[in-house]
Amino acid sequence: MMYEYWLAVLPGISDRRKKDLRDHVGSARKIFFSEKEAAQQLGEKERKALEEGRKMSPEKIYQEFEKAGIRFVPWFSEQYPSRLKRISAPPYAIYVKGALPEEERLSVAIVGARLCTPYGEQMALEYGETLAAAGIQIISGMARGIDGAGQRGALNAGGTTYAVLGCGADICYPRENFGLYTDIQKKGGILSELPPKTEPRPYFFPARNRLISALADLVLIIEAKEKSGSLITADFALEQGKDVYALPGPVTSPQSQGCHRLIAQGAGILLNPQELLSEMGVSHIKIRQIANKPKKMLESTENILYSCLGFTPKGVGQLSEETGFSSRKVLEELVTLELQGEVKEISKNYYVRIR
Amino acid sequence: MSFSTVLSAAIDGLCVETVHVEADISNGLPVFHMVGYLASEVKEASERVRTALRNSGIVLPAKRMVINLAPATVRKRGSVFDLPIAVAILAALGTIGQGRTDGILVAGELGLDGNVRSISGVLPIVMEAKKKGCHTCIVPAGNEMEGKLVEGIRIIGVENLHQVCSYLTDRREEVLKEQNKRKMETKVEKYPDFEDILGQHAVKRAAEVAVAGGHNLLFVGPPGSGKTMIARRIPGILPPMTREESMEVTKIYSVLGRLDPNYPLIRQRPFRSVHHTVTKSALIGGGRVPMPGEISLAHQGVLFLDELAEMRREVLEMLRQPLEEKLIRISRVYGNYLFPADFILVAAMNPCPCGNYPDFSKCTCTSGQIQQYLGRISQPLLDRIDICVETPKLPYRDLSGSGGEESSGQIRERVENARKQQAFRFRENCIKTNAQMGTKEVKRYCVLRKDGETLMRQAYTSLGLTARTYYKILKVARTIADLDGSQEIKEPHLKEAIGYRTIEKKYWGR
Repeated sequence: MMYEYWLAVLPGISDRRKKDLRDHVGSARKIFFSEKEAAQQLGEKERKALEEGRKMSPEKIYQEFEKAGIRFVPWFSEQYPSRLKRISAPPYAIYVKGALPEEERLSVAIVGARLCTPYGEQMALEYGETLAAAGIQIISGMARGIDGAGQRGALNAGGTTYAVLGCGADICYPRENFGLYTDIQKKGGILSELPPKTEPRPYFFPARNRLISALADLVLIIEAKEKSGSLITADFALEQGKDVYALPGPVTSPQSQGCHRLIAQGAGILLNPQELLSEMGVSHIKIRQIANKPKKMLESTENILYSCLGFTPKGVGQLSEETGFSSRKVLEELVTLELQGEVKEISKNYYVRIR
Repeated sequence: MSFSTVLSAAIDGLCVETVHVEADISNGLPVFHMVGYLASEVKEASERVRTALRNSGIVLPAKRMVINLAPATVRKRGSVFDLPIAVAILAALGTIGQGRTDGILVAGELGLDGNVRSISGVLPIVMEAKKKGCHTCIVPAGNEMEGKLVEGIRIIGVENLHQVCSYLTDRREEVLKEQNKRKMETKVEKYPDFEDILGQHAVKRAAEVAVAGGHNLLFVGPPGSGKTMIARRIPGILPPMTREESMEVTKIYSVLGRLDPNYPLIRQRPFRSVHHTVTKSALIGGGRVPMPGEISLAHQGVLFLDELAEMRREVLEMLRQPLEEKLIRISRVYGNYLFPADFILVAAMNPCPCGNYPDFSKCTCTSGQIQQYLGRISQPLLDRIDICVETPKLPYRDLSGSGGEESSGQIRERVENARKQQAFRFRENCIKTNAQMGTKEVKRYCVLRKDGETLMRQAYTSLGLTARTYYKILKVARTIADLDGSQEIKEPHLKEAIGYRTIEKKYWGR
């Protein structure tokens, strides 16, 4: 088995060639020891890569996997997700920290812009919560913005979520999502097709996106600009025959342009999480009442202020103008609301509503 | 008589040391020799003095002249020694009678034509002269008003060597008569007024609170939202300077030679706006011969740092000690220098590199860029800023509207009241304002009632405050309560203070 690890992490030979080679020679062990047989199958460059690769110690590689607590699931393994087998370029192996998505359970990908608006973030959170509460597995990329919010939502609802990374599964990227990284390992898993210790590179991410859509039965695009990585995911999803849903936003918001384009091209439209669930044929079990959080009785001045707030950030000056309260009063009440968890300060003195 | 001595003074940093200028004329080869640890500008004085004397009609004999500036351990710099050297020579020659220079301090630069030119640092020199028991100071006419700020010592402003000779010989009265014609004038300068700023009530309020408690202030807002305009008006709502404070500030400006010769006393609190390309030594003071920097020029006033995030980190780091100790220590091989630096720091920055965050339809920055941008500001510096407020872009209505805004005078009245309460509160402590309170004082003077306690506990956990922000909020709340004339800190005070808390980087950004 050690040699399988070795073959999987061997650089310089494409996944497809590795697969062919292994099919032909029989096993990774044979490839490691019988130089001639393996060499016949390969081109000049690949032969060199193999020669170089032989200098690595399979034992060491194996031990490192053990140490990092990373599971190795090659394509011939029984555990290899069948969803991945169906795509055009399945990865040679998947490296996992935590669990793999369950085969029988529905899974939904929630993806979107890293640069999201508070509205998008909130919606991602909500969809994550509701879908996960209904027992659906949430797949995403653990990126800043929408991805992270969707997964955080799933965790909040006590559901399972899986992150596919554009770097080794032992690396937390982006660093600020470290909390998410550890939590996902407990309630789901961190997946990657890249060997451990691989640093994130821009060109890894589009390839990563094909796995996100592959692992999901349905792809939700929450927010995407006109040119966005999320649209690459949507393209992969369509290629793989998955349904794509997009969330509408204000037509003036650049962060929703990509979504609107998708809807215009025939993508499903996300009206609310419940509707999506019934469309998917899932009777949604209300583990927790999430979408319609019982509205707290807010004192009247707070109520006026609260009703002026939305998902577009508003400053103290603007709110004071809209409500007619003095700026001092507005600031005081905003702090009250903030302490009650009703609003959030996203930049200095700029507030948005939470739900 | 072939030997004489005249009193003068050397400036080192803001300190003054009296220097005895000795002249000796004896037979021998005709030389003009100067000794006494002289900087090159003082060595050059020999040429100026000899030429000035000749052009004033005084013929120097072909004798050996030795000038000594004592004590020899003090480095002599600057151009103040030209005039005392000339006087010492005249005394040694016997042109000026024996004993006429006793108790008189002389300072001034000479032109080749015998005219006396203005020098810097006259105020501290005169102060030192008074301390040393002199009865008269002879200074350049251009510095006369400055010297007259010191009471209890006679100041004679001279325009040329002739006048000096006249005063020190027989025609003393003539010079004095001339002197009396000139009277000290005072100019009342006006600060820009808060009246001119329309809208921006939240920002004005924050400025008022900051000034009332001596808190440092940070404006966050898009370009063109009036950050600089407001900052410029902040000195105007500070209480007027006392005579003592005024003299302190004037002294600094005097050493740097930045006083108006006609209205030397600085009565207006300084406002120093520093560009973000400022170097370390320009900001805190320095140079081979340390001179006060911007932070000392802002003493008793406001130091305004625009584009805080664009400033070099190591420059900002230098501000930590002066913000804490209200003075700056500069150490050099040949000595330590202390410059006062008690100012209110007002800083301004954009919320993101493009300045439009959180307007998502305009902001083009990535979250990484925003984080990086904010990351440039050092946390220790942010820790010393108590109040942070957003300056929004003005709506059109506020631009075209007119009048009805509060004037600086009205705001200043409230500030003065709040300051009075603080003065009373800290009468036994060595601090003056709420901002200077340490943990001990906060515990003593910022006692909360039960509802306040509950609020703060809730805020501490749900807003993820740190111990440091917690204390800052209490200090600001204390100031807000003082402005309200309230003995105890109530819930609204705390809430407003929480609203002003400084940005916590990890909670900012998308």
